[in-house]
Amino acid sequence: MRIFDPHIHMTSRTTDDYQAMHAAGVRALVEPAFWLGQPRTTVGSFTDYFDGLIGWERFRAAQFGIRHHCTIALNPKEANDPRCVEVLDVLPRYLAKDGVVAVGEVGYDSMTPAEDEVFARQLQLAIEHRLPVLVHTPHRDKANGTTRTLDVVRESGIDPALVVVDHLNEVTVGMVADSGCWMGFSIYPDTKMDEHRMVAILREHGTARVLVNSAADWGRSDPLKTAKTGRAMLDGGFTEAQVDAVLWANPVGFYGQSGRLNLDELPGFTGAAETFSGNSVLRGARPDVVLEAER
Amino acid sequence: MSPGSGSADGVLPDLSGLRLGSADDAVSPHVGLRFGYGTNGFANHRLDDALAVIADLGYDGVALTLDHHHLDPFAPDLAAQVDRVRGRLGALGLDVVVETGARYLLDPRTKHHPTLVSADVARRVDFLRRAVRIAADLGARCVSFWSGVLPAGADPAAAWVQLRAAVAEVLPDAEDRGVVLGLEPEPGHLVQRLADALALRRDLGSPAALGVTLDVGHCVAVEPVDAAACIREAAELLVNVQLDDMLPGVHEHLEFGEGELDLGATLAALTDVGYPGLAAVELPRHSHAAPDVAARSRTALQRAVRMFAAPGRVSAAGGRVLADSDGVLAVSGGMLADPAGLDDPGRAWLDRGAAAVRDEPAAIRTLFPAAGREVGRAPTHPETDPQGLVHGTVDDAARVRLLGALDPDALAAEVPDLYRYGDDAEKRGVLRGLAPTGVPAGIGVPLVQDALRANDIRLVAAAMGPYATNLDDHSWRHGVLKCLFVGVPLDAVAGWRHRADPELRRMVADYAAERTAAGREVPADARRLLADPQEGA
Repeated sequence: MRIFDPHIHMTSRTTDDYQAMHAAGVRALVEPAFWLGQPRTTVGSFTDYFDGLIGWERFRAAQFGIRHHCTIALNPKEANDPRCVEVLDVLPRYLAKDGVVAVGEVGYDSMTPAEDEVFARQLQLAIEHRLPVLVHTPHRDKANGTTRTLDVVRESGIDPALVVVDHLNEVTVGMVADSGCWMGFSIYPDTKMDEHRMVAILREHGTARVLVNSAADWGRSDPLKTAKTGRAMLDGGFTEAQVDAVLWANPVGFYGQSGRLNLDELPGFTGAAETFSGNSVLRGARPDVVLEAER
Repeated sequence: MSPGSGSADGVLPDLSGLRLGSADDAVSPHVGLRFGYGTNGFANHRLDDALAVIADLGYDGVALTLDHHHLDPFAPDLAAQVDRVRGRLGALGLDVVVETGARYLLDPRTKHHPTLVSADVARRVDFLRRAVRIAADLGARCVSFWSGVLPAGADPAAAWVQLRAAVAEVLPDAEDRGVVLGLEPEPGHLVQRLADALALRRDLGSPAALGVTLDVGHCVAVEPVDAAACIREAAELLVNVQLDDMLPGVHEHLEFGEGELDLGATLAALTDVGYPGLAAVELPRHSHAAPDVAARSRTALQRAVRMFAAPGRVSAAGGRVLADSDGVLAVSGGMLADPAGLDDPGRAWLDRGAAAVRDEPAAIRTLFPAAGREVGRAPTHPETDPQGLVHGTVDDAARVRLLGALDPDALAAEVPDLYRYGDDAEKRGVLRGLAPTGVPAGIGVPLVQDALRANDIRLVAAAMGPYATNLDDHSWRHGVLKCLFVGVPLDAVAGWRHRADPELRRMVADYAAERTAAGREVPADARRLLADPQEGA
């Protein structure tokens, strides 16, 4: 089972997670820019974070044979803090980067006027940069928030095929399916969705335009939920090809619209790497050595 | 480096971008290459006048041939003369190496005699020992010498033994005074090719105080491979370099462009191996027009340096650079002009991009991030360097070329932000471009220091390239140790053999002891650094 996790916050995860993810079949992922547990207070805090997403985290993932991409945006929660809004001015620099495959996470948290404005402005940035958009739907007042989200997307004029609306559930999936946007599902241990409910949704709506992610972050979450959903699909009678469509082909199709996915195998993690054995310098990873230096 | 920014006389382009070290401190680290001129090409000038002309033309130093009219090593007031010349060099900001190839200094009747392979070898040995003392007193780090032509009827094997013994006699003086001897392969001599010089050095037990002087024109004349390949072969053993053009099979020192030397590739190779010394023009038969020849040579060198980083010069045929507009030069680009793995669409994109940057420097801000998508990201030497840690990647090389399209002002303005807002690959491109484009140390060094704080080993590797010569000793040693620690190949550290010192070896030995105490393997590169025969040099 090859897996592309289209939404996971690796900055908050350990190297054990990377190792387990690679063992479970994860070979590529997208890390959306989002809020940290602790609110930010300055633009500099954002840029250092963005730099990590296009630098250090990409390198860290590569040590474990995983291709790392990211999305860049001002998240909805911090769109309400005037100290943070100025980060919008530096976004264009980051949206030009290799490996930045979408604008995101954008959308609503508390559905304030400030969120309205920042959301709309970032949809325009996506249009200008010809990038897809990853839209977060609110945890509170979700159905109403999703309706409003789809209205704003429609008003922006962006092609719905370039938009994924994430964190959907049984209540919100239908309206997004009708909108032409892609449907994202975050599979969590307790909240959001679980893998068995996911299988039921796939049975009802099919696999087209569906993205399944772990959305693992600094909270209680599980970076292997993608693999577990794949197994639940197989147990539920889906074919391997259907599992591959959901866990690989769909995220590749969606984010591939950016023209910036890099899915080449990493040196040191392919069969060809064996030809380098005997010369440790030429081994791609040397994870033992690198891990030592991280501290 | 901008062609438009002329010096006071309006003839020579401004070289400030290339001379980044402190001119009055001959041992201070420098960015890129430092050029000198041989005083044997000013045979019709008083030494003081020759030094002034050479300094005025913007050279960084001189290769001083001791001769009866140029600091006569047998003068009764030698000590006073040495003091005076040292003061003069210091006042003019010139570095110096000592050459010993004067024609009639020891024997007024027979040119170049006696030599180390002729009967009266003692006089040559005495002269070389004298030259070593003069070099030490002048503050020159190197004394260059050659073996001599095998006398008619002499037995080569016996001559080799005599040569070896003679060099062994001079070595202790050099070691005592901290001077290094540079054995120069000379066409027609017993030591004629680089391989001969390396063989003699091995024969002597690879002494630290014996290195190689390479005349790149001689490479064209007699070596089986080109000058760039010779430079890479000699690498850390290079202690002195002479620059001139030549034709295959003809030992005649020519101005640049008159022979078959690939000057751009030669200079690129010197940059690649991190050669830290002077590269001095050697045109002993051009004294009649010395000031003009020296000016022309300077221009040719500047142009070649600019061209080996200049993307527009690359033809689609495979990286050979076109002749310059006045037809003087045919230069190809070494590491920068033809990144391996660049396909035709990639090359076309790069050519367009470089042209766009020349028209409008700000264009680099959008081209820089796009380089990987457009030209690919493969390592340039996938067989030996699959991660591109030593030689970099195709996109690294492409970004360096884009940087090379900026004039010095734009370069200084753009580089900090390209790095600050760059992703990992863009930062790498900036780091690898610092030395070849001649970014001033005040701008480039903070970026290198930033990269050395990173844990991304590709940034660390790129930071320890040729530009790291600008780091102070403490920072440089920690950079090397970090490479060993995180698994960056030692070969990614430019010129490590030249600069490794006892303190670095102490640090590496402690690191090795720590690994051993923990029951872990000592990295091969750490053992290599500790075992290097240059120890103590």
